Amino acid sequence: MSNEMSRMKFFCDDHRCIECFACSVACAEAHELPTGISRRKVITLFDGIEGKEVSTSIACMHCTDAPCEQVCPVDCFYIREDGIVLHDKEKCIGCGYCLYACPFGAPQFPRDGAFGAKGAMDKCTMCAGGPLETNSEKERHLYGQNRIAEGKVPMCAAVCSTNALLVGDAESVSTIYRKRVAGRGKGA
Amino acid sequence: MKKSIILFIALLGLASVAYANESQIWGEMRIQNILGYGQEESLKLGVLFTMLQSKYFAWVFLGVLLGVPLVFFLHYKIVGPKVFPHSHKKHYAFNLFHRTVHQIAAVSFLVLLPTGFIIVFGDFFGGGTLVRMAKNLHGLFTIPFAIVVIPMALMWLKEALFNLEDVKWFMILGGYLSKEKQIINATQFNAGQKMWYWVAILGGITMILSGAFMFFLDFKMEMLHNITGLSQIDLLRVAAILHNVMGFAVVALFITHVYMSMFAIKGAVYSIITGYVEEEEVKILHNAWYKKLKEKGKF
Repeated sequence: MSNEMSRMKFFCDDHRCIECFACSVACAEAHELPTGISRRKVITLFDGIEGKEVSTSIACMHCTDAPCEQVCPVDCFYIREDGIVLHDKEKCIGCGYCLYACPFGAPQFPRDGAFGAKGAMDKCTMCAGGPLETNSEKERHLYGQNRIAEGKVPMCAAVCSTNALLVGDAESVSTIYRKRVAGRGKGA
Repeated sequence: MKKSIILFIALLGLASVAYANESQIWGEMRIQNILGYGQEESLKLGVLFTMLQSKYFAWVFLGVLLGVPLVFFLHYKIVGPKVFPHSHKKHYAFNLFHRTVHQIAAVSFLVLLPTGFIIVFGDFFGGGTLVRMAKNLHGLFTIPFAIVVIPMALMWLKEALFNLEDVKWFMILGGYLSKEKQIINATQFNAGQKMWYWVAILGGITMILSGAFMFFLDFKMEMLHNITGLSQIDLLRVAAILHNVMGFAVVALFITHVYMSMFAIKGAVYSIITGYVEEEEVKILHNAWYKKLKEKGKF
């Protein structure tokens, strides 16, 4: 198996997503996020239009060629060997460049700096914490739970009642999805 | 002048009001923004910003920061400064208002430029507290500059309009490439000074607005979206690109401005401190202005 295939990925099967918001709420609760910050968001398009309505859940997609990592002026991003894109909040200056580079609108900024300036960026960590000592109090405070280190599935996917939200290495995710598409005969 | 300040404050107020409403970046718009990223028919601003910021901006800034002073260092060594006697008659050209406005802008720039460079080379400084502080000071010192930029634009507007003589000035670069004191037929401001005026004023306003965009981030100005046809996130990308590109010009001409006033023309900087310009200096470098002042019986 090549290294590329073992990268961790999220995938939301919009045929299964029922817009229950469990992923978003569980994430916010598990990581004790401040109000106004939601690392994962559920969005519904064509609400109420039969046959067209579609919902999906979006967070950081942990890109292979992460543009956020390329534009950061203080180089606070790092990509783990398993492909999870993380950042160092103590280095981050809250400039916002990662947000402009991100295709998915993942980076968010709490207004906690001086004069209401943008504070350190916050985004989905795929429940893998940050650069601090694993499972330390400080890591939990800054980045939320480190469930990956405990061998657990990220919170959002763990609570997804329809298993719409898939997470895992890219190959496993695509194998599961391929089976589903073959089973229902549509939605590739 | 007052009106424009009130308008500016009102715009900032509007921005923070809109901030409380539905997010332009993390709300429903998010799906459209994803679809608008790098798609064939989109402007590909996200891709463009990523490419420019990751590969070029910091290098161009480094080039300007080292290259422009290097050129002037060589100029100083080869051509040398122009020295005018400072014991002659003087003319009171810059009153207290002129000087106050100029000095407020000067102090702002002396904070804005170094802090801007600390942000650009943030990885060199290791990020964290120092660079974060630079970012906050960069925003804070925009305020005094924003207050004086309009009065400054108005008080020197008449002198800064280009005329035909300026073409001649550019042809010989104001005579600064020769050791001799050629008589230059410039008015109060020569073409180089005029160029700096326009970059400082128009470029400065561009820097203030694009900087304010990036500071307030998530606001909605219906009018702006309608005129430009851009989503909020694309406007932010344009702001970030403009802020950097305009930064190159402002930095290059700021260094030039400092070199000319402090080194190339010995003692010229005192005219903006005391308000008095030297007769010899005006006679040779601003001859058209000199003739006018003579007619009025000045000196």
